Amino acid sequence: MAGSASATPTRSSASYRRGRSIQVALAHSILLIVVAISFYPLIVMALNSFKTDSEVLRNPAGLPEVWTLASYRAIFEYHGGLWRNFINSVIVASTSTLVSVWFASMAAFAFAKYQFRGRNLIFALLLAMMMVPFEITVPPLYIMFARLGWLNTYQALIVPSLASVFGLFLMRQYMLGVPSALLEAARIDGANHWQLYWRIMAPASAPILGAFAILHFMGVWNDYLWPLVVATERSIQPIMVVLPNLRDPHIGFLPVWGTIMAGSVLATLPIVTVFVAFQDKFMSSVVIGAVKE
Amino acid sequence: MDTNDALELSAQRAISAAGKRKIRWGDVLAPYLFISPFILAWLTLFIGPAIYSLVLSFFRYKGYGTATYIGIQNYQSILTYHVFWTMLRNTIFYWLAHVIPLMTFAFLLAVLVRSKLVRWKSFFKPVIFLPNVIAVVASALVFQSLFGTQYGVLNSLIGAQIPWLQDPKLTRYVVVLLLVWRGVGWWFVIFLAGLTAINTEVEEAALVDGASAWQQMRHITLPLMRNTFLFAFVIDAISSFRLFTEVNVLVGTGGGLAPVAVAPILNLLLSNLRGAQFGMSAAVGWILFVLVVAVTYIQFRLFQENAEGVE
Repeated sequence: MAGSASATPTRSSASYRRGRSIQVALAHSILLIVVAISFYPLIVMALNSFKTDSEVLRNPAGLPEVWTLASYRAIFEYHGGLWRNFINSVIVASTSTLVSVWFASMAAFAFAKYQFRGRNLIFALLLAMMMVPFEITVPPLYIMFARLGWLNTYQALIVPSLASVFGLFLMRQYMLGVPSALLEAARIDGANHWQLYWRIMAPASAPILGAFAILHFMGVWNDYLWPLVVATERSIQPIMVVLPNLRDPHIGFLPVWGTIMAGSVLATLPIVTVFVAFQDKFMSSVVIGAVKE
Repeated sequence: MDTNDALELSAQRAISAAGKRKIRWGDVLAPYLFISPFILAWLTLFIGPAIYSLVLSFFRYKGYGTATYIGIQNYQSILTYHVFWTMLRNTIFYWLAHVIPLMTFAFLLAVLVRSKLVRWKSFFKPVIFLPNVIAVVASALVFQSLFGTQYGVLNSLIGAQIPWLQDPKLTRYVVVLLLVWRGVGWWFVIFLAGLTAINTEVEEAALVDGASAWQQMRHITLPLMRNTFLFAFVIDAISSFRLFTEVNVLVGTGGGLAPVAVAPILNLLLSNLRGAQFGMSAAVGWILFVLVVAVTYIQFRLFQENAEGVE
């Protein structure tokens, strides 16, 4: 930093400093404007969640005239008890995350640290098929699940997201960097294959497992298309499918904006909580797949 | 590739280690056991359905009774259906209209936050990222509330009755705005990491040699960021063609699908599915696949040509 100042000897240091402080002020005002734009919709969401449904219609932009938790209460009391849909979302997203981290990490371990016949071929096939979008499987999966009587069940919501090739790929890359000597040592101490995975490799690759878990959880939590297809009964629907459809219980067609905003706040809260707790880990999980060293 | 480093718990090794001529089946089977849950799930839930879907796309099938082979008729009817072309045009519009401002803002913000001008970097980084953390459905709903005609926040602030979400021409720009608003933080974080990975010595050497900030950006930073940009553009294009939630929550009333005038391609897959036109629905999926592959290929080519031009 000192280097860049001394690299401009032609300017007097006073005018240099003045020019620099203007630049600093400018940079920060640009960033503050960006921050304001990022936050504005969130502020609207939060403020309107503390208004009653009718006040949002009268006063959509301002502060609440009366701060009330009526909209939050409505979520739990009316509309068939939305808490149930929250629980559905939690069950679906966490089961899917646990199982897919487990499946992908075991497979990644084998691809990274074992020699076996067909390894490279299978791995190449997995990667090649990554270009095929998930949506292609929606019509056949729908037919299959309908035959199995799985429509409107948790398994129909969970099962299609269990095999994440993206996760497998991330984990394998990371595990390649875990020293094999660690495994050799454990092997000499008499560890069996399962212990190598569970006691050595899984803890050693905890950062990437955590990063993938965050991304995957977010993906399933946010999913809208698939639940819209297989979950048509209110009792099984995740919150994301229910939220856009909340209507006035008496009048019918009128969207209940206070309640919808309160629901949006609650639907966002789990991910925001994880984000606030693990900011750096969260953001590096975004980067991991993108930037190669 | 990396076979040297791999732990050779394979058959041969087991033989030599044990000093016996007996194969230890546990060692041979272990890797297969480790990959089998994943591979089984992948085969039954992805590869099987994908093949089924390809076959289905050449049949007329209502979900019951017999399926009739009709050749490429599904594809023909889709490609001659004006609704498909409207949706394709919408999808391409959403992609092209959001990708340039999105990537430009994200990159400039990353350059700014990384520069020596900015203090409190650890404050700005998470704060700029925040819109990504908001559930997609929730952010689309907030935008619906912001841009409502009668009860919308924006209209009530400016005292107008602009039909943002009723006039398709305006709605398309609201969708773009939502995509940019939600996406900037994501790519900002990725570009910031890409910039940080650049060896600062190279940049400082250029400064010492008297390069201006612009020259440094043009000849050092941008070329070094090329792979990150390629990645960003390709991933963003793929997700643009798979756009669904944002549009349908923003303007689809009552959980229904958005009106055709603003709908993305995936809506055609879903509407055919709901109409029990499973063959058609599958065919839409495969057309989407071809589009995704084509767009990815074009971008790889463009980046390659650019790279050759620079060198």
